[in-house]
Amino acid sequence: MNAVIEDSNIVVETHDLTRKFGKFVAVDKLNIAVKRGEIFGFLGANGAGKTTAIRMLCGLLEPTSGTGTVAGFDIVKQAERIKSRIGYMSQKFSLYNDLKVEENLEFYGGVYGLDSRALKQHIHETLERMNLQHVRTKMTAELPLGWKQKLALGAALMHNPDIIFLDEATGGVDPVARRDFWDMIHDLAAHGKTIFVTTHYMDEAEYCHKISIMHQSRVLIQGKVGDLKVQTGMKTVEELFKHVVTQGDSA
Amino acid sequence: MSVIRHFVKKEFRQVFRDKQMLRMLLIVPIVQLIVLGNAINLDVKHVRLAIFDHDHSEVSRDLLSRFRSSDYFDIILADQSKLSALMDRGKIDISVVIPEGFARDLGSGSTAKAQLIVDAQNSNLAGIATGYVNGVFGSFQEDFRNRMLEKNPDIKSKIHSVEVVSRVFYNPEMNTYFATIPGIAVLLLTIITTLINALNIVREKEIGTLEQLMVTPISKFQFVMGKSLPFAILGYIELAIALAVGMLWFKIPFAGSFLLLAFSAALFLMTTLGAGLLVSTVAQTQQQALFTAWFFLVFCIIMSGFLTPIENMPTALQYLTYLDPLRYMIKVTRGIFLKGSTFFDLKYELAAMAIYGTAMFALAIFRFRKSTT
Amino acid sequence: MSTSSPMIAANDIKKTYKDTDALRGINLSVSRGEIFGLIGPDGAGKTSLMRILCCLMSFDGGTATVAGFDVEKQSGEIKKRLGYMPQRFSLYPDLSVGENIRFFASLFGVERDAYQTRFAELMQFSKLEPFINRRAAALSGGMKQKLALSCTLIHTPEILILDEPTTGVDPISRFEFWEMLRKLARQGVTILVSTPYMDEADKCDRVALIHKGNILAVGTPSEITQEFKHSVLEIEGANLFDLRRDAETLPSVVEVHLYGDRMHIVTSDIFRCQGELQAKLGISLESVRKVAPSIEDTFISLLK
Repeated sequence: MNAVIEDSNIVVETHDLTRKFGKFVAVDKLNIAVKRGEIFGFLGANGAGKTTAIRMLCGLLEPTSGTGTVAGFDIVKQAERIKSRIGYMSQKFSLYNDLKVEENLEFYGGVYGLDSRALKQHIHETLERMNLQHVRTKMTAELPLGWKQKLALGAALMHNPDIIFLDEATGGVDPVARRDFWDMIHDLAAHGKTIFVTTHYMDEAEYCHKISIMHQSRVLIQGKVGDLKVQTGMKTVEELFKHVVTQGDSA
Repeated sequence: MSVIRHFVKKEFRQVFRDKQMLRMLLIVPIVQLIVLGNAINLDVKHVRLAIFDHDHSEVSRDLLSRFRSSDYFDIILADQSKLSALMDRGKIDISVVIPEGFARDLGSGSTAKAQLIVDAQNSNLAGIATGYVNGVFGSFQEDFRNRMLEKNPDIKSKIHSVEVVSRVFYNPEMNTYFATIPGIAVLLLTIITTLINALNIVREKEIGTLEQLMVTPISKFQFVMGKSLPFAILGYIELAIALAVGMLWFKIPFAGSFLLLAFSAALFLMTTLGAGLLVSTVAQTQQQALFTAWFFLVFCIIMSGFLTPIENMPTALQYLTYLDPLRYMIKVTRGIFLKGSTFFDLKYELAAMAIYGTAMFALAIFRFRKSTT
Repeated sequence: MSTSSPMIAANDIKKTYKDTDALRGINLSVSRGEIFGLIGPDGAGKTSLMRILCCLMSFDGGTATVAGFDVEKQSGEIKKRLGYMPQRFSLYPDLSVGENIRFFASLFGVERDAYQTRFAELMQFSKLEPFINRRAAALSGGMKQKLALSCTLIHTPEILILDEPTTGVDPISRFEFWEMLRKLARQGVTILVSTPYMDEADKCDRVALIHKGNILAVGTPSEITQEFKHSVLEIEGANLFDLRRDAETLPSVVEVHLYGDRMHIVTSDIFRCQGELQAKLGISLESVRKVAPSIEDTFISLLK
């Protein structure tokens, strides 16, 4: 058995993490623990509080109360240090459409402070890993959606981060490209990277090891996908989500 | 430093790939300078002047012919009883009344009086027209005095008429291009650099790349410099284009130091790029950014004294113009361009611009947040 | 119109943009009261086909009728009977729920009396009644889609064409939205709906899988999965990544996919595969179960 996955090292952890906007509580006492090498799915409807939680973890937003660590750094006091250890890929793909494929990688690598030798090497490796060498000099705007997603993932990996945040990363892409994408994600996880997925697409959640379902600012249920399905007698994450949220509403 | 270099590279790649943007940045300013340089003409020609001569003397006829021979005036002949009616209907801009005994008073050494009536609805025009009339009177008086002195050198002490000397400085041919071209150049520089910085950052906010940058470990300073430096370079290119148009098309001689102008532009660009950055911290959409930046720009343009002389503004507003960075930059640019002013000639303006630039840039960096709310 | 003639019919529809073929000869037919799903990824041609059927776009070959009227010649007749909800349906965010619907009623020239009955019906139907005075901007994603649907329904259309109405909507709202469509279909409304989500195929009466301008398969969801010629075995457990590599080398294995702690093995021969798994990888028969192939599995196999 692989030693990396046996490692119970926790890389993302929060204790009663709370964020309020005025009177509105966007995230209410969030407690999560994500292990190294795990694909963790953070599920919830729009407005459930997922984005606020992610922003706190990425050091973009200060919590109102509670504590948290990401990659061993405190999310309040060491927010800037966290940023060099995480990669972030959002639904919008965050690429410059008017830059070429390799120029996007060059820019993001440069922003992370890679020197020109490292930069050259990482661009080469990333293009190879993502199977994008042949479109190296193509304008990003011209790529099909599935390739853009691979490129965005590649850009997020340029600085070899420990944790990768995927914010609704694979909606709308064709099924073949999507399976390729998740194959890559499983590969990364098997090599010790931690993947933090936020999504409201329940079929994306099927690819996760563990999930946490958030509804109206609170986590309703958390655990391994298989265990949760057995516990609730549901066949898919979609059914599970509906079941848990309807119960949460009536309770 | 390397991070900033990557920003510069990226921004230039994007700017040079956007052909539409490139045309806006490089060709439109040339067209604007040439068209506006001719359109904004601060000279007033064809002032409609009514002259009522009640003296009918040789002297008064001489004065009359001086007005007639000037390009600046169109002489309107009318009955004086209709004067106020003509003014009401806007048929006359200015009128001169020469009373009976004008020549006699002038010859006898007592002060000769003539009346000047001005339609001051357009104070700008009125001011300039009055100046022209005074100019004609001035040269008339001087000639008259010289003639009298020739005839009778002893009479000197008896001539009391006020000596009005009107001279035109720095622009001997009274060519207004000289004043307007440097002004328009600075105006274009202000508009382009303020807007481009504000819109560029807000655009990144809209497409989501700004958030991506916020999760990287770059510092605020690196981000701000990375965004400002490419557009500062672009600002210099604009300025160079404007200078070239001024010197080659309008044939205005550049009298001063290019280096001093470049230094002044650096101070000024800190203000405009800082203002753009400041706008981007407030605006969420490019539309909001455009409007917010526009308020700043309109204030700068109107209060700069470029279109309306500052002396013609109410006193309270005149003080407000000291808050306008454009006021200094126009003065500095005109000074260097036309007069060859030196650093010491312009030390107050440069000091004001340095303070303004530093403050604006510092405020922008302070306001800019690497986090969201 | 007789009940047997299709409400929407497309014959060999072709559409070419500059240098790409968006539609390469599409044939489909939808009967009255049917929910017909167009399923395919972004860029498959779903939107182009829908826009052609809504008389919004010219095309380069083929014929199409909607409610029996020709798409090219009788667009006026079609528009009276059609409700279209584009992908980015534009509600006015600063108008209230009620104001948005009234605005659309005026666009379609709905008479005052008819409007008032219809409005009441729709409010009840969409459960938006408590939010009549709320500005559209303040609605959740799911509620916005319900409002958009209500606006599309204000002139009581016989045919609804909905372009990705559930994209970006949370599972609960998606479920409710499909319930609404089902009710409409029962009332005899014909619905053509597109979605990029393979799992939404089950909600339709019939679906067409569409990819790069071609229809790969048409039929009921169960007919479609029968097109899948292989079987799928599932193994659950931790640390599957290495196991997956080994499994891929087995002769009977077509493909292997990882889903977190689960692994799907696509095989041409179940018994041989189980034997190989046991013999070569030491996996007991009890830990392997057969699962039904999904529409996504079918889609992928049809692409290959």
